[in-house]
Amino acid sequence: MAATLRPYLNAVRSTLTAAMCLENFSSQVVERHNKPEVEVRSSKELLLTPVSVSRNEREKVLIEGSINSLRISIAIKQADEIEKILCHKFTRFMMLRADNFFILRRKPVEGYDISFLITNFHTEQMLKHKLVDFIIQFMEEIDKEISEMKLSVNARARIVAEEFLKRF
Amino acid sequence: MEKFSFGVDPITSHAWNRDRTQIAISANNSLVDIYQKSEEGWEKTQTLNEHTQRVTSVDWAPESNMIVTCGSDRNAYVWIQNGNDEWKPSLVILRINRAATCVRWSPLENKFAVGSGSRLISICYFDKDHDWWVSKHIKKPIRSTITTVDWHPNNILLACGSTDFKVRVFSAYVKDVEAKPSGNVWGSKLPLGACLMEFGGSGGWVHGVSFDATGNRLAWVSHDSTINMVNASANFAESQTKLKNLPCHSLQWVGPDSIVAGGHDCWLLRFSVDDSNNLTFEGRVGFSRKRTEEKVTAMSMFQSLDKRATVEDDSKKTSIHQNSIVQLLIHTGGREAVTKLSSVGADGLLVVWNQHSLQASIGGSTFDMLAETINQVNIASQE
Amino acid sequence: MSKSTSTTIFRKVNIDEFDENNYQDEVVEADQVAVPAEEEIERLLNSKKNVDALQLLLRNAPITSKNQVDKDKAHQLVIRVLTMFKASEVGDAVNSLDSNSIDILMKYIYREFAAPSEKSASVCLTWHEKVYAVGGVGSIIRVLTDRKGV
Repeated sequence: MAATLRPYLNAVRSTLTAAMCLENFSSQVVERHNKPEVEVRSSKELLLTPVSVSRNEREKVLIEGSINSLRISIAIKQADEIEKILCHKFTRFMMLRADNFFILRRKPVEGYDISFLITNFHTEQMLKHKLVDFIIQFMEEIDKEISEMKLSVNARARIVAEEFLKRF
Repeated sequence: MEKFSFGVDPITSHAWNRDRTQIAISANNSLVDIYQKSEEGWEKTQTLNEHTQRVTSVDWAPESNMIVTCGSDRNAYVWIQNGNDEWKPSLVILRINRAATCVRWSPLENKFAVGSGSRLISICYFDKDHDWWVSKHIKKPIRSTITTVDWHPNNILLACGSTDFKVRVFSAYVKDVEAKPSGNVWGSKLPLGACLMEFGGSGGWVHGVSFDATGNRLAWVSHDSTINMVNASANFAESQTKLKNLPCHSLQWVGPDSIVAGGHDCWLLRFSVDDSNNLTFEGRVGFSRKRTEEKVTAMSMFQSLDKRATVEDDSKKTSIHQNSIVQLLIHTGGREAVTKLSSVGADGLLVVWNQHSLQASIGGSTFDMLAETINQVNIASQE
Repeated sequence: MSKSTSTTIFRKVNIDEFDENNYQDEVVEADQVAVPAEEEIERLLNSKKNVDALQLLLRNAPITSKNQVDKDKAHQLVIRVLTMFKASEVGDAVNSLDSNSIDILMKYIYREFAAPSEKSASVCLTWHEKVYAVGGVGSIIRVLTDRKGV
């Protein structure tokens, strides 16, 4: 299983690099406004074809590009109930604090667990290849994080159960 | 080659005066700064402050010494220097209701073209009777935002690229200011707004168009990472080269048979054109340095672990520009023989390339030598 | 307030879409490309000519076709051919393709990524890596900007 992680992340990295060619673009629908086209979807010619990269049926990312913004949505591996709960809690915690993460979207795209919205303002302020690195690192870490949390939850549950059962 | 940094904000557009001693730069905000070349680098002399939103394009007419700026506040201003060397604006009646995206003076400087998000091009000229700048519209068959315009050397034809994936050649003949033109290879009937030719449609937004010195060949770059050329004198033969790199954003003819383009890759790419109108990729220019293999001391290792959470400092790219190249302009020479070229990028850098550094791209071994010729001068930053 | 005024259903009509100056997708004349027959591909695969089968399919990809059935069939055939390769043969196979075929192959790979089966995702990852090594980011950009689909 671990054998496909590297090619998976490499494929995501190259796709993200390709999609991250953004420029400042004023809305051609709303006067004197500048909106992320990938969100407003008001002019179809300004959107790129959305693509996904999958490791298997459950783990995949969706990358939607446009002329001034791109959206990347990640479906995280959830093998059992406890991983589902942990994943939900974890992403919820982050998305409630989305302002502090700059590129995090407050709500994931339907069918995915967490979404990022990168606009031309981000690529102007930050180095593009480091933004890509960040997403990749995030994807690497989140699997690790969840399995670690699962272990500690299990360990804690065992202690609790032991202490509880001592009384009988 | 010379490299100048104008702060950390992206530069949206730049323009040179006639003798290249002054430069107008807009740094992703509503201001345009005029810099004067001095011993130490560049000194800010005046700020043009009239736009209320981001300035998208600046052009400086070399002979008549007028600056035209346009912005996403839907306005364009022509700036003229008064007796005290101060720049004074006059409003242009563009009659558009979306952002203006690009502006270019015509070769004879009697009119200019403004592309906009309201799916039209305004051809603007000075109305002596009313003493202001007025415009005429080119509308059909444009379907989306105009991203780039370029004038034909005959002062009549105008090429434009837009986000509907098309490159079009229009007649921009204004009967109020010029004599009736005769036909040429692009077309014989030239009323204002006549769409003479339409190319492309591959699916990539057009980012840059450029006529060559003769005006017979037109080249453009688009977002599907291709560079295209059409030769009007060879029965409109089209040719396309697909790149392996990220898409280019701007291009310029630098000789009768060579083109330089730059874009999201942060490098300049050189292309050559042969007699049968084929475009060939020659090489790329713009290496700054190899990643220096500094000695890793324990202290520097822990410092960078602390700062960046990695041991390696890989934040710098190997190209000179550290972010997308936004605009390429001719510094010295004409389109038939450019000796110096200038580029600005989203990293706030202005780089002036000489012919030597441009041609050094063909061989692979000359990059190191190139890196040594960098003469970095930091000018006083924005504050 | 009456029920009819509180309804917002009428707001769901996007008036901007009816602007006649809006961008319209171009109608392209469909080239008559015959998708190679399944038997033909089968025959090539059986005689171990995997590379020939792949080249044949990519050269005759029904890109401009409006017939979704043709497209689906061609896609399934391509994926079937891709899975027949051993991981060690992929690099050589990619090197034998011209730049046009590389771009088309990349489109097929991304299409499979959109709805992968248990096995094909890892096969596609292997192919993606090799095609990327030859075609560069340019080939991915052309998948993103492609508006016709394979």
